[in-house]
Amino acid sequence: MSSFGRLAEYATAALLVSIVSGFVVAYQYEVADPFISCVAMEAAIPFGAFFRALHFWSSQAFFLLMWIHIAQSIPRLEKLKSSPRGRIYWAVLILGIVPSGVFALFSGYVLRWDATGKAAGTIAEHLLLDIPLAGRSLDRFFIAIANEGLDRVYAVHILLAALLWGIGTWYHTRRVFLKWNAWGLILASCGLVSTVFHAPIDIPQDMTSLIKGPWFFLGVQELLRYLPPLFAGVIYPAMPVMVLAGLPWTKDTKPWLWSIAGWGALYAGLVLIMCMRG
Amino acid sequence: MTRRDWIKKAGKWGLMSLFMYPLYAFIVNVRVRPPEEVRVSTIPKGNEPVIEPQFALFETAKGPIAVSRQCTHLGCTINYKGHEKGFLCPCHQSHFSWDGRYISGPAKKDLPRFAVKRLEGGKGYIVEIPRGLP
Repeated sequence: MSSFGRLAEYATAALLVSIVSGFVVAYQYEVADPFISCVAMEAAIPFGAFFRALHFWSSQAFFLLMWIHIAQSIPRLEKLKSSPRGRIYWAVLILGIVPSGVFALFSGYVLRWDATGKAAGTIAEHLLLDIPLAGRSLDRFFIAIANEGLDRVYAVHILLAALLWGIGTWYHTRRVFLKWNAWGLILASCGLVSTVFHAPIDIPQDMTSLIKGPWFFLGVQELLRYLPPLFAGVIYPAMPVMVLAGLPWTKDTKPWLWSIAGWGALYAGLVLIMCMRG
Repeated sequence: MTRRDWIKKAGKWGLMSLFMYPLYAFIVNVRVRPPEEVRVSTIPKGNEPVIEPQFALFETAKGPIAVSRQCTHLGCTINYKGHEKGFLCPCHQSHFSWDGRYISGPAKKDLPRFAVKRLEGGKGYIVEIPRGLP
């Protein structure tokens, strides 16, 4: 099998481990008492810390493998560009999988409801509310923490797992033959990491001066200090996804790929500045 | 596209919209909830407020005031800094004075205040917090 196919298989295996471990964690997670139930898993429930960590690390692995798989797919775009069906196929994959993957990972941070999770959730809700016209409806669909607590975030977190699996397998490949060695390798490596490194959870400290969001959100968090929320938190993060989805409609993809690289360099710089803040 | 195909397509989209509207109306509806009443039994001493998860309660010459701890920028829970006599947002570093007036940072707006009732006999206070989004 080519490295392209193997990596795609690893990404699918990571998603499967993430979904299965997520269902295991759901047996002890209480949406009405989110923080305490996470702490109980960490401290009191047998293997709770392991299953939380397995869900966390396999989700991170899927997120990273998904990006590498997308990057590997770009040279193959020429084939898809030739037909309208191929162009739509690419756009559906990018617009279906990337925002879902990002929000599934993000909502996982929110659901633990520690200081980072609370801040991330309320910020995301206010960012959605800043979108003109559709903001309130989008908030009701995806977050609605102010009115409903974590109920909707939890429902959407589970729904996205199904959506990612559906688009990633049924729509993308029609059917999947996941080999035991790929599944075993991902399970073993994530399992090994999970025995050593716990999934993060903040210890309550009421008067902290700085809360840092999830690692992939740090650039947005830094930008939100200087720019209006609609631009910093919605338009700017959406830019590379829209460009990526629109690639099949461009004559020459190179300048667009450079624009994504420029965006990435700027984002990495913002993440670095945020990391250096004490 | 023939007229038959067009009618078929329109029928499909029409049916889908018919199903989508009830779904949309169901999800976006906000159930009205009464305001939450929080009882505070501790009395603020001197300049030090009583810090609750949603507000900070101060006793002033004009009576008690409850200042919201939700940042007006993006909703993070802000912290009271006793030595600075003000609030600091840990997410994007907006500063507010002790009584909720905006000082600096991306928030730009003052912190809201909640209605406070003093209980008879110095037994504490009831703070009324509106639920949901403003």
